[in-house]
Amino acid sequence: MTLFDVVFSGNDTVYGLTESAINDAIEKYGADKPVAFPDTAYSLPCYYGVTGTKVGNLGELKEALGVVKTLMTRQKRLNDAFMSGVATALCAEFIEVLKYMDGATPYAEPCYGHLGDAIIRELGVPLVTGDIPGVAVILGSAPSAEEGVALIKSYQAQGILVTLVGGIIDQCEEMGYKTGANVRVIPLGKDVTSVIHVVSVAVRAALIFGNIQGGDAAGLMEYTFKRVPAFVNAFAPLDPVIVACGAGAIALGFPVVTNDVATAEAVNVRVPKSLIVQPDVSKFNATSLEARDIKIKITNIDIPVAFASAFEGEIIRRGDMQVEFDGSRVDCCELVRTCEASEVEDHKIEVIGPDLDEMPEGSKQSIAYVVEVAGKTMQSDFEPVFERKFHSYLNCVEGMMHTGQRDMIRIRISKDTFNAGFRAKHIGEVLYAKVKSEFAAVVDKCQVKIYTDPAECTKIRHEVAMPMFDKRDERLTTLTDESVDVYYSCIMCQAFSPSHVCVVTPERLGLCGAVSWLDAKATNELDPQGPCQVITKERVIDERIGEYEDVNEAVQKFSQGALEDVSLYSIIEKPMTSCGCFECICGIEPLSNGVCIANREYAGMTPIGMTFPELASMTGGGVQTPGFMGHGKHFIASKKFMKAEGGIERIVWMPKDLKEQVAERLNATAKELYGIDNFTDMIGDETVAEDPETLLEFLTEKGHPALSMEPMM
Amino acid sequence: MGDFKLTTVEEFEAATERLLETGKKVGADAWQYRVKNQTPHCKFGEQGICCRICSMGPCRITPKAPRGICGCDAHGIVGRNYLKFTAGGAATHSDHGREICHTLYCADPNGAYKVKDPEKLVRIAKEWGVETEGKDIYDLAHEMAYKGLEEYGKVFGFQNFMNRLPEHTQEIWKREEVAPRAIDREVSCSLHMSHMGCSSKPEALIRQSLRAGLADGWGGSMAGTEFSDVLFGTPKPIDTEANLGVMVAENVNIVVHGHDPSLSEMICEFADDPEMIAYAKEMGAKGITVSGVCCTSNEVAMRRGIPMAGNFLQQENVVLTGACEAIVVDVQCIFPALGPLSKCFHTKFVTTSPIAQMPDSEYIRFSAETAAENAKSIVKMAIENFKNRKPELVHIPDMKQKATVGYSVEAIVKTLDGVTNSQVDVTGTTKPLIECITSGVIRGAVAMVGCNNPKIRPDTAHIELMKKLIANDIIVVASGCSAQAAAKAGLMDKRAKDLCGAGLKRVCELADIPPVLHMGSCVDISRMMVLVATLAKDSGLNISQLPVVGCAPEWMSEKAVSIGNYVVGTGIDTFLGVDPYVSGSDQVAGLLTNGIRDWVEAAYTVETDIEKLVDKMIERIEEKREAIGI
Repeated sequence: MTLFDVVFSGNDTVYGLTESAINDAIEKYGADKPVAFPDTAYSLPCYYGVTGTKVGNLGELKEALGVVKTLMTRQKRLNDAFMSGVATALCAEFIEVLKYMDGATPYAEPCYGHLGDAIIRELGVPLVTGDIPGVAVILGSAPSAEEGVALIKSYQAQGILVTLVGGIIDQCEEMGYKTGANVRVIPLGKDVTSVIHVVSVAVRAALIFGNIQGGDAAGLMEYTFKRVPAFVNAFAPLDPVIVACGAGAIALGFPVVTNDVATAEAVNVRVPKSLIVQPDVSKFNATSLEARDIKIKITNIDIPVAFASAFEGEIIRRGDMQVEFDGSRVDCCELVRTCEASEVEDHKIEVIGPDLDEMPEGSKQSIAYVVEVAGKTMQSDFEPVFERKFHSYLNCVEGMMHTGQRDMIRIRISKDTFNAGFRAKHIGEVLYAKVKSEFAAVVDKCQVKIYTDPAECTKIRHEVAMPMFDKRDERLTTLTDESVDVYYSCIMCQAFSPSHVCVVTPERLGLCGAVSWLDAKATNELDPQGPCQVITKERVIDERIGEYEDVNEAVQKFSQGALEDVSLYSIIEKPMTSCGCFECICGIEPLSNGVCIANREYAGMTPIGMTFPELASMTGGGVQTPGFMGHGKHFIASKKFMKAEGGIERIVWMPKDLKEQVAERLNATAKELYGIDNFTDMIGDETVAEDPETLLEFLTEKGHPALSMEPMM
Repeated sequence: MGDFKLTTVEEFEAATERLLETGKKVGADAWQYRVKNQTPHCKFGEQGICCRICSMGPCRITPKAPRGICGCDAHGIVGRNYLKFTAGGAATHSDHGREICHTLYCADPNGAYKVKDPEKLVRIAKEWGVETEGKDIYDLAHEMAYKGLEEYGKVFGFQNFMNRLPEHTQEIWKREEVAPRAIDREVSCSLHMSHMGCSSKPEALIRQSLRAGLADGWGGSMAGTEFSDVLFGTPKPIDTEANLGVMVAENVNIVVHGHDPSLSEMICEFADDPEMIAYAKEMGAKGITVSGVCCTSNEVAMRRGIPMAGNFLQQENVVLTGACEAIVVDVQCIFPALGPLSKCFHTKFVTTSPIAQMPDSEYIRFSAETAAENAKSIVKMAIENFKNRKPELVHIPDMKQKATVGYSVEAIVKTLDGVTNSQVDVTGTTKPLIECITSGVIRGAVAMVGCNNPKIRPDTAHIELMKKLIANDIIVVASGCSAQAAAKAGLMDKRAKDLCGAGLKRVCELADIPPVLHMGSCVDISRMMVLVATLAKDSGLNISQLPVVGCAPEWMSEKAVSIGNYVVGTGIDTFLGVDPYVSGSDQVAGLLTNGIRDWVEAAYTVETDIEKLVDKMIERIEEKREAIGI
């Protein structure tokens, strides 16, 4: 017997029952007797959805059964099995509607039977917004009432709407478990045919919210497959009728998870992502969610202290500190690793080594926390993007301070927070919850390992983390504007600068300094309709200034027509606009034939004759200001920094503080491009000059290359 | 479905007609005309009953003259011809594989050829029992290249790759004496057996045909595929485009054609070089477009997404666009007609291999040691030729389709991992595909391979067969010119899922794949062999029990016969749309279509009616399902 044979035989059985039920009813009441479900405008919703025909009386119901028969083809193709599944569902609807003859109320507490249109309209919004992330249909009796109730409870905790059919309803009653629409657990009925009442909900959702017209069966099935996050849990034993109903569910796109190993062995029932055999009922939840690609939003972080951005800037002084982890003294690190799905157990948090209460008060300790993630669309390029967020996540914990990154981290935990019960595993809870919720699009599963054992930390840092960091750095240096096929737009700050568009390239990060090309790529993958969009760069106009037809088109589109064209590498010709959140501003200093850069933190005067706020007022607002440009700090050492005008050789002045921050990378670039050693020594700062004349004297003395370059204007 | 629509064969033909118009203007010849000149074909040749292996003849068999001068009958003559044909194909594929081994031997971290997939190299080394621990990857590459080359002349034993087969297959090969020994030995042995005065017994000749084919599929071809992956990267899904519309009128168009990726990889490398692009601009073009024809095209499409200009019978069309600056060829399936044809246009016809030298071509001898400078000078030559274009002759048909290609076995397994459920399944296997097949969601799989042949309306058989197969929930894996036919039609566009039956459509949606999977070039049929071997091992079935068949509806070359022999030899029923010159002997034909089933559990079906051919395949697949109760 093949799976299709089982479906066909189940379908035949139900069809036979339906046929005799309708004939009996006609015999009893006559063909003109009206039939209808209460409180719906959609007649027999499933039949109406599939065929576009409304059924009003028993005679029409019999005709409808004739139409159903035409679906019951018997070729050995999935379409035939799907259609037989649909036919089985329609037969179930016919059997159910007969129960409502003469205004009968066939279902009594706790069962609901048919659900009216009003309930569907009520469910619509939370289903669309994801507040109800899924709909579970549980069918049959669990191996034990305890297991059945535990499964229901697990779905409830995730906000999933649960519908019950058959023995599971009795099991709830046996356990005294509360059911009802208000707790999102809806017992439908004890006959298997009552499952149609939840299918009816899905079909009406397509008709009501999806604007699917009755009779557009293909459109209907596409809608439910793509938009109704339902799935079925069918307990053993599966009889052919249930399998036939299951075929109908799968046709609509709803996977079926069952624990019926015996049937699975006898008939080849396993179908990836559609019909899954899971012998362990306690894993039904995780199996079902994965099969239907449902991701649960985590809103609650299980820690004993508050979690809010209000705590982000909190300083923990030495005297208030319970314990400190300091990567500059002992081995520490933070790391995200991509693993195979089978290697990750979701929400597993392990502490390896002593917990906080085993560490002497005020002591300096090692820590290494490794967040292991798995996801079908996860890419190792996202790892550092997640990692950079840890700083913000951990700082949001009340009484916790985090600085630095990679293996140079420092964490302090306050005495108050420790006394409130905060322990090492809570670091894992925070990281788990945030990574799972913020990166849901790519992270399917996540587990956290927290090492506090010094030997383990040393091992993780030197044998695992450092090689990974090295590999990533290597990848970053190979990422150039030429080596990638696409750039990204970023319009995160259009809320306050409506016409500004950043074009983010590997060698030119966003002017705010916070969005690198990899960040933009990840943002795009996580939210394809979001602020970062792919920009192709196939039609080059002018390679020198970095102008592309496709980039211009994108900029026009994303600025709503405010901008015509931009160059990527010029400060004079069509420079990129600035919003207002730039880290630095660079402006032309005509006397020395170069540019000065001022960073936001710098409060003094620049040789241009303007302070940072004065420069900002004329550069921001999303307009092009030739000669001035906002940019990120990191961009200063880029080979693409105003490449069109000759590159970093033009930099003649920047505040001392900024100069120190960028010196290492800037000097390396200058050495590589022009063979100049210690280039930053040639660049003036506020200790040398705040006016152009003194600056020029200094530059002449140092032999600054800008002096002998082509005039900029 | 939006605006997605397949391109029809009628549309292909209209485009070709338009190009032939251009050809007429410049007095160009074309295969369409040469076919007419060659028709009708020699009947003796067609039936395989002409013998010219000694100078006593030529002899040909008629009812009045049933034996040749030496006394050989039709069965011996047909069998010998079939074996020689096979040996030609096996030699060709395997020599390509040998070149790749040699290129691997030249791999150097600072040279033109690098090891791009070290993991795969280590994996193969482990399979072959070579110590990998603590070894420099390039030392290992050279060692493996040497071992690979030794497979061609190994003194004892069978092909190393045989250990990838299920035990059952290995046993029957040894039992039936078809297990391939050294590759060169099988080719030599075939030529020896078919020499005047050696074998004339059909059983012996066909048995050796199988063995020579297996030396190709599980020897030379597999080495070609596997070590190409090591050198150039194992293909993974990548988007590209297909048909003549991929050529760009404003750009310098370089078309690569042939089979060996060593050359084309380097050409692509230099066409991407900023210096070369700048040079092209200097010469008045907007950029450089590399596109491909035949299996070289498949190789670079699978690894780099380089667009496919066309397949075998479209090679002349590329030149007829008037926009081809250079057609650069390596080996195999290259029309000598390209020489005279290129003279009618500004096109440079560049031959590069000592194996394939042709009149009226510019011969730039290419070797692994000087690859970079060879490739650079070819690209430069093409760029400099841009100015010689005759604008009035330029016409590129505005016709192309999107295609997702790059389905190596590794990529298929990775794709299948995407539909597993980590709560119940393991990853890294073909089990999800097996489950789709055993449950009946997918009925089976067909490996569509092979060439074009004017005896069949070009591409029609490929496209029509595939359309019917996918509508019947049968997944298609394709390679060679068959794959390009599919891509040109649009069957490798993921949106083609809407042409499938409900089962295959659902699989395409869940796995995010097109219904016809591009597995590579013709040597890459070895990938299909690895796939079926893996399916057999993962399912516990014998290869011959799997509901899988092979099909070459428009085949033409000796290589195709060698392929057919190893596909059948591996246990997969194979369907041909063109007769392999065996109709002159009922004994040989009987062996091929039936008798060899006793040896290797599979046989050929020859059916020139395409509609019947596809129905027979579907029928065979259903029979196989029935036999194992699924």
